[in-house]
Amino acid sequence: MPNGDSPLLVRSAPAGRTDEAPAARAPGRPLGERLAPFVLIAPALLIILIFRLWPLLLGVNFSFTGDGEQNGAQVGLGNYAELFDDPVFRIALRNVGLLVLLLPIAVAIPGLLATFIFLKVPGNRFFRSVYFFPAVLSPVIIGAIFNLLLSVDGPLNAVLGFVGLDPVDWLGDSSVAIFSVVGVHIWATFGMGLVVFLSGFATLDPTLLDAARVDGASTPQVIRHVIVPGLSRTIQFVFVTTMIGMLTSMFGLLFVMTGGGPGGSTYLPEFYIWIQQGQMNRPALASAASTVLFLVMLVVGLAQIAILRRGLKEE
Amino acid sequence: MKQRALWLAVLIGSLALTGCGSASSRKSSTSGSAGKLVVWDWKSSDKTATNYVAKAKADFAKKHPGTTVEFVAQPFDQYYTLLGAAIQSGKGPDVILFNGGGQLRDRADSLLPLDEYVAPDKSRLAGWDAFSKEGKIYAAPITLQGHPIYYNKTFYSKAGLDPAKPPATWDAMISACAALKKAAGVPCFAQGNKEGYGIQFWMSGMGSSILTPDEYDQWIAGQRDWTSPNVKKIFSLWKEVNDKGLNTTGPNSTAMFMDMYTKFEAGKAANVIGLMSDVGGWHEMNPILGAENLGVMLPPVVTAGTTPSLAYDGGVGYGVAKWTKDPALAADMVRSLTSKDALTAYSADAGAIAADTTVTVTGGGPAAAAITAEIKDGKPALHVALSAKTQEVMGRVSQQLLAGKITVDDGVKQIAASDKG
Repeated sequence: MPNGDSPLLVRSAPAGRTDEAPAARAPGRPLGERLAPFVLIAPALLIILIFRLWPLLLGVNFSFTGDGEQNGAQVGLGNYAELFDDPVFRIALRNVGLLVLLLPIAVAIPGLLATFIFLKVPGNRFFRSVYFFPAVLSPVIIGAIFNLLLSVDGPLNAVLGFVGLDPVDWLGDSSVAIFSVVGVHIWATFGMGLVVFLSGFATLDPTLLDAARVDGASTPQVIRHVIVPGLSRTIQFVFVTTMIGMLTSMFGLLFVMTGGGPGGSTYLPEFYIWIQQGQMNRPALASAASTVLFLVMLVVGLAQIAILRRGLKEE
Repeated sequence: MKQRALWLAVLIGSLALTGCGSASSRKSSTSGSAGKLVVWDWKSSDKTATNYVAKAKADFAKKHPGTTVEFVAQPFDQYYTLLGAAIQSGKGPDVILFNGGGQLRDRADSLLPLDEYVAPDKSRLAGWDAFSKEGKIYAAPITLQGHPIYYNKTFYSKAGLDPAKPPATWDAMISACAALKKAAGVPCFAQGNKEGYGIQFWMSGMGSSILTPDEYDQWIAGQRDWTSPNVKKIFSLWKEVNDKGLNTTGPNSTAMFMDMYTKFEAGKAANVIGLMSDVGGWHEMNPILGAENLGVMLPPVVTAGTTPSLAYDGGVGYGVAKWTKDPALAADMVRSLTSKDALTAYSADAGAIAADTTVTVTGGGPAAAAITAEIKDGKPALHVALSAKTQEVMGRVSQQLLAGKITVDDGVKQIAASDKG
């Protein structure tokens, strides 16, 4: 049983078992006392219902109505048909697939760096703070910095030119731009994953590590059979939060660095939603896209948990 | 116990308030009660608009002493998103600032037709077309916005070209570009298409010298023939200029606002298609390049038989929301906002060409004078006639054209489909 369960259930369970039938018909305790827990959880529950679930349902419902002249009229699945017919939305979904593929890299980087810090490489204290530093910068500032660094006549291309390579239009070439933006996003956010990994390392039992070493395990074997299983919860957590971060927090970077371009190649669903709602005046279509994004995240999140739970279990 | 219940109520109450607050906008910025008007814009907080707002308020106060006016300046990048939320809820500001063209037309069903109220201003102000839909006026223009081609006279002199006589034909332009590259070492055009605006400026800046006058007028009237060779020429020339290396490098990753203009102002390109009001024009180029070094040219003739002209429309203007309580009162506010006094102040402070044709631009140098001289022969800009959706598709296609990912025929087909649909 998870730790989060309320003491209420723990307390009432034995009571239910001892006098099962009478409890249902003639309550042994006063009405007030039995209602108290429900009254106490009501505010939290109501807030979730009113401010979370109800708007969610309204949004889904809104996605079945029309825009502009058809405002308010039911159009069934019309918005969804239009969405999947729109090449830009298809690019946005394809980019989500790309992000899922790039996810292991986004998790491996903080994992690897945290391992080095844990193994106390020289200067680990310094690196610990340096790695976290970008996480405190706003995406707009990071985007502006990298706009300068990655511009065609910018410093990175100057370095490439120095070693005799052709300049790359990092943000202006439609087959490169999405990787540039994702790379910057990983750079900007891996500090959070790193901190989570470090706290995970703190919970590792050092005696297990010592025992493995005494038994003659090599470093890769220690990582594979002791560290990774011991960190399975942490890895799972970082995977899911990184995925959510990639799907929902790249707006600022996209907005500043590429504006969805060139040729729509760096669109992500949330950027698409913003464009449709704010620039194209299509709120209902944007709702439909939001619903699709919600479902995608739900499926991806659940699939990840299932896969990781199976993959990280040490038999 | 009572105390605790009270705290809980306060907590829930404040949660409810913040919950609403983030989605909609500030309480004070929605539709005014009787005796109060709320104006939404993205300019009134600028120092350059202080005088303008004061003059407009004073003019309005003379007519309606009992009414207070509240200006709410929204951030421009969120402006139409916030406005969309207000429209969706049917509550919001009484008087709304709009960009002319698609942004206004897409929202015309939330606005009040102003024809009867602004009739006395019709001849004094120019640029009404950008604020009209199906023959009805939905906003009154305060500035004119257009797309003159600016050039740096210093480079023209250096290249042995006459700075007073810019190229009049496309062939002359191409050879001028070669001379500029050779003598001054700069590419011909500063280009920035990261936002997808570059193609819009190209289309409107060059359009009158590519489309025949007949095609031009039909385009504006909504009869756009996307299969016409001249229409395709706009896009093939757009690509050709870049392929020939006449643009500054990396146009798809260069933001028009403001990197493209910074390049021109920093002397890294000889020409740029700019704006005539607010930013990206003579107002900011004059002090940097020197007013006497900044020239304005009409587009060089590409298609024989065309008459090059300045492309301009109403730039920004004020409309009245459908839900306002007293339409006549709100319309009077719009009239105050377009009064000659107010527009004179705005033109001088913000460096805009005012919609009021009786306002003279002071201190704009030769460039502003050249633009003003072209207004009477000018025509509406081609891209402004397109819907926001078509402009978005066109921006995307234009980037793919520069990147060589699509052919001109395929690209034009995509834009045509969105224009018809």
